[in-house]
Amino acid sequence: MHSEKPTLTAKTALWAYEGEEHDFISTRTFGFWLYLLSDALIFAGLFASYAVMDNPMSAFGHPLANGLLSASRGLIQTFIVLGSVFSVSVGSLGLKTGNKGLVLGGLAAGGLLGALFIWFGVSDLQVMAAAGNGPLESGYLACLYALLITHALHMGFGLLWIVAMFVHVARWGLDAMNTARLLCLRMFWQFQASVWVVIYVYVYLFGGAH
Amino acid sequence: MGTHHYDPTQHPEVRQGTILRYVLATVISAAAMVGAYYVAMSKPPLVSLIEELAGTLLVALLAQAALYFGLDVSRAQIWKSVSLVLTLPLFIISIGITVWAFSSLYGRTMPDPAIMSSMAM
Repeated sequence: MHSEKPTLTAKTALWAYEGEEHDFISTRTFGFWLYLLSDALIFAGLFASYAVMDNPMSAFGHPLANGLLSASRGLIQTFIVLGSVFSVSVGSLGLKTGNKGLVLGGLAAGGLLGALFIWFGVSDLQVMAAAGNGPLESGYLACLYALLITHALHMGFGLLWIVAMFVHVARWGLDAMNTARLLCLRMFWQFQASVWVVIYVYVYLFGGAH
Repeated sequence: MGTHHYDPTQHPEVRQGTILRYVLATVISAAAMVGAYYVAMSKPPLVSLIEELAGTLLVALLAQAALYFGLDVSRAQIWKSVSLVLTLPLFIISIGITVWAFSSLYGRTMPDPAIMSSMAM
């Protein structure tokens, strides 16, 4: 972190007597970023297994994604998740000026849109299961459910985090600890949008097209 | 780790976000997904479908990486960018090689569905 080259004299110490403190926020955000990369590898495993099972033989007489999921409904979900991420991201701009209201407003709007997104996803899975296409019917369906539910669980966990941060910010304000937490939450929520666009393109639009 | 002397509003990751970045990231991602939707609905040949869907997906992901996550080569973000670049081969290995291995495995080991259905009669 030192930009100037130190001048060497006879009194120059060759080691620091006191520990140098790491940047408080960057330590947390970088650690959380590494967690997101490892989380992305979990999704990579799910995508790989889905890709292997994405054929009529593994579907065992059941339809593939293009016969189960609506691409136009998935596009609406895409808009909702992008709107949610946009809200949380814009809300985080309140950190610059200490505008607590903007942060809380962004979290509230992002949380509501996130809940709407989960409702869409869960109702899709309910319709699929009710039509006899449950997760235990074939290897393909098991992979499809695993992929969609894993993403929905991430969104659900993110919603809990949003609620927790809403309470934290409302009660304790925008101190350094809450700022670090909000930056991590913003990354986590943005990461959900990145995973969703891959799911939308690969499962909703490409699934079953080959 | 003491935080009493720390001004979080001055942190580079706090200063980095702007409304323009987030609007652009959202609009580009949404436009790419609308484009992908229309590509898929037009039902082009498989190779064109793969190319065009991969292109729109890449645009959306690059926009999000640069504008949402703010990845760049600045001092505040360089190690996030480096760690992502170093992780990308793992995605390619885990997804690409698995798909490649199993696509040839099916052909070599699984019976033809047409033969299977004729045997069932």
